[in-house]
Amino acid sequence: MNKTSKGKTSKGLTRRTVLSGAAAVGLAGVARAQTPAEVKVGLIVPLSGIYTRPGQVMKMGAEMGIEHINAQGGIKALGGAKLKLVVIDCGDTTEKAKNAAQRMVAQEPDLVAATGAYLSSFTLAVTEVTERAELPVLTLSYSDLLTDRGFKYIFQTAATASRQSELGLPTLIKLAENASGKKPKTVAMLMDNTATSVATAKALKEKLFAQEGLQLVVEEVWTPPLSDATPLIQKVRSAKPDLLLFMPNAVSDAKLGLEKISEFGLGQGKIPTVSFSITIAEPDMLQSVSPETVQGIMTIVANWGSKGHEALIAELKAKYKEPWMTQNVISTYGDMWLMKEALEKAGKADRNSVAQAFRTLDAGPSKYYPGGQLKFDEKGRRVGAGVVIVQWQSGVPVTVYPPELAQSQPFWPKKS
Amino acid sequence: MLRMRSFLPPLLFTIAYAVVSLGVTNSYYQLILTLVPVWAVFGLSWNLLSGYTGLISFGHAAFFGIGAYATALGQIYFDISPWLLIPVAAMLGGIAGLLIGFPTFRLQGHYFALAMLAYPLAILYVFEWLGFQEVTLPIKRDAPIAYMQFADPRLYTLLGLAIMLATIVLTQVIERSRFGMALLAIKQNEAAAEAAGIDTLAWKLRAITLSGAIAAAIGGFYAQVLLVVTPASVFGMLVSAQALTVVMFGGVGTVWGPVIGSVILIPLAEILHAEAGARIPGIQGVIFGLAIVCVILLAPEGLFWKLRDLLRKRDVSKATVNDAPEATAAKVTTLKPGSQQRAATGEVVLEVRNLSRSFGGLKAVQDVSFKLHKNEILGIIGPNGAGKTTLFNLLNGFLKPNQGEVLIDGRNMSGQRPHTICEAGIGRTFQVMRPFLRMSILDNVVVGAYVRARSDGEARKLAADAVARVGLSAVADRVAGELSTKELRLMELARAIAGQPRILLLDETLAGLGHGEADEVVAVIQQLARDGMTIAIIEHTMQAMVRLVDRFLVLDHGAVITEGLPEVVTRDSRVIEAYLGKKWAGHAAN
Repeated sequence: MNKTSKGKTSKGLTRRTVLSGAAAVGLAGVARAQTPAEVKVGLIVPLSGIYTRPGQVMKMGAEMGIEHINAQGGIKALGGAKLKLVVIDCGDTTEKAKNAAQRMVAQEPDLVAATGAYLSSFTLAVTEVTERAELPVLTLSYSDLLTDRGFKYIFQTAATASRQSELGLPTLIKLAENASGKKPKTVAMLMDNTATSVATAKALKEKLFAQEGLQLVVEEVWTPPLSDATPLIQKVRSAKPDLLLFMPNAVSDAKLGLEKISEFGLGQGKIPTVSFSITIAEPDMLQSVSPETVQGIMTIVANWGSKGHEALIAELKAKYKEPWMTQNVISTYGDMWLMKEALEKAGKADRNSVAQAFRTLDAGPSKYYPGGQLKFDEKGRRVGAGVVIVQWQSGVPVTVYPPELAQSQPFWPKKS
Repeated sequence: MLRMRSFLPPLLFTIAYAVVSLGVTNSYYQLILTLVPVWAVFGLSWNLLSGYTGLISFGHAAFFGIGAYATALGQIYFDISPWLLIPVAAMLGGIAGLLIGFPTFRLQGHYFALAMLAYPLAILYVFEWLGFQEVTLPIKRDAPIAYMQFADPRLYTLLGLAIMLATIVLTQVIERSRFGMALLAIKQNEAAAEAAGIDTLAWKLRAITLSGAIAAAIGGFYAQVLLVVTPASVFGMLVSAQALTVVMFGGVGTVWGPVIGSVILIPLAEILHAEAGARIPGIQGVIFGLAIVCVILLAPEGLFWKLRDLLRKRDVSKATVNDAPEATAAKVTTLKPGSQQRAATGEVVLEVRNLSRSFGGLKAVQDVSFKLHKNEILGIIGPNGAGKTTLFNLLNGFLKPNQGEVLIDGRNMSGQRPHTICEAGIGRTFQVMRPFLRMSILDNVVVGAYVRARSDGEARKLAADAVARVGLSAVADRVAGELSTKELRLMELARAIAGQPRILLLDETLAGLGHGEADEVVAVIQQLARDGMTIAIIEHTMQAMVRLVDRFLVLDHGAVITEGLPEVVTRDSRVIEAYLGKKWAGHAAN
């Protein structure tokens, strides 16, 4: 009651102001009174501490998404309401992420959806809070655990870690067979012990190596930061595997390993090297290693700027000086469109309706995520989520698989 | 009564905090209100070990993390309620404390701190290796209360407060007991504590066990609040640092320090994160760090002590007018020459047989034998470097002899730990004074009394007696740091006699005293001897010694040159030669 009466007085005031001549202000007031002027969506990512960089990149993607949606008329089902991005720094620890999520749900009660939080540990903590607050969260984190908790308000757009290795490895082997004429037989695996690497390695060792007829000849695990890669690479050199899986999650670790590979004369495809995260294809890599060192290295990732995203990539380059589009940008950009889709379907700027819309969404093939549909299963995993294989070619990591997204032909490094 | 009154402030504080938190409905502020008691309790647990004993632990995250993982994994794998798991976590933390403490207490100072740093880091890797990189607590939609999963976040705060109140009360009880006294004594001076009859290792182990148990319990509760456990979030460097930060900021060695630190720092960090961090990401860390640096520079021992010192100064300046006329040593009887009233009996209470100790090539004490008779005063003299203090260190157990025996009442005690020898009836003072500067005179002396006293009350009574015997009753409540050298010497004497020893070893008790002051102290020693104490004293001031002692033992180069009555020894040419050189020995002969 109180609220409506207040609304009336303010409207009355506006009319008087219009009469008194401040037309522009008055018109804006009228417009606000008629439609929900904006719908708030959240971006909760690390913007301080050691994970700042990926957080910033995700922010770029979100900003571009919001800008494009609003420029194309906003949410039509809500009378052209504009999206507004609320950015929250989730810091660099699990506790900070949890606190930030609590702050997000407490201080921004009219958020309808959010996306985040880069590292899967942070996403885990954030979604513990949002689940209880019934706020739907999209995430590009791909830990299986995220959607194994029976939560109803988390939607994972990327293929889970175990699914990625399931999808990626056979493709990779096929690629090797086509390009070099023979199937790899032996494999070496060098990995750090972060959650994603461990999950990937588990799937590889328990199932996929046997399935692909690969024999694991070297397995070494390190705890980041890697201080010296010599003993690791020495083992690889003496074992001479057909394939090297190198799985760092920090740019500095990737650099140390690749330099050592190069130093031992195993680079440039002497031993074909494959990774499982975007770390090895981050723009930061070129600040510390030469394009020759990374030439030919492949990585299996959940998403990448690909064929069909040329305009976006060009805009990203022009606006933010990013040389290429990583998973963090394209997925977060896509999340904004996905939120729009859900809002159109829900027809209401209300978090529970939006969550329900995500659950029942069936919006056809996805434009900004590889493979599958814009549709979630009962766990909140995107149906048919695929992977992208990216290869360093002349100083740029380009998409080489799947064919419909490939920007370039893959080449299999020739073993001499 | 006194006891109950001291529990009142924490109780009132807790109630006030609870009332405030019940009025907060914003779930974010509520979470911060929950985290304050969590970190306060963690700070208190750190304080219990490091604040009171002075052994800085950089690795309290080890206990915290064990508690958090025990609580999380117990729920995941065994479906046990956290109401049960948190006590279990406390037990595990206590065991971990014992296991970590036993080897690590062999180290001291920085070495201890650095060794402690290693434990959480090592355990962190173990948990990563076990595959527990990310553990989430299963959500219990059907029985939330049974699994400590409250819909109302205020319940977490209340629970956290309950744990905090319990920890505060426990800390206060410890602070005032023999336990707390022992820890404080260890902090101020571990060697003196040992010599005063405190089994320092046993007390330190008790402290780390209890500290580990509290840290693990609150770690378990923290897991329940955070819902996600990762090795970095419970074993990480930042966790250990958090304990240090809140305590150093609030005040070390007091129950209020961690509470003050936590109440200020935790919300401050969050506000900075929410307000400043939103504008310039990362700036929150800079401001937070600078704020801590400033406070540490201005109040190195923490806010609590700074405030208390300020308040004290005001009180003292008011009270000085009344204080001045009270003469400190009013009760001490004036010096009477000679000690003929006493009759040294023939009974041997301490016998030293062929005692030797060398440091590398230096034979500090070689083949020393002598007997100390009941109720006599034996003066041990000799030039600098003659091995007098080393001899005392061998007698009271600071050093182990290479060979020889020390018989106390006919029992061989050589090689025993100092506190055991203290229990057997030997008290000592030090050449370099070792007072517990932060403690009052009476408390300093109480530390020495525990070796005989069965209860806290008895210890206080023994201490008060001892203080009276040395004539310091009038200033018994002053802090040791404010005393003059003479008063400190007397206080050390009181501490040594509070444990009711039969034999007293006095190491240069008159050093650094003016003429009149020395006489006062000598009078006290004579009175002790009249009361039946057997005394061995090292001293340079010949004048005082000749009047004081019954017999001399003269050492040079670690060996006994001679022993006998004062008038005989002072004329002995070997003694004069040792002190003054050959030339003067010739003069003396004439």
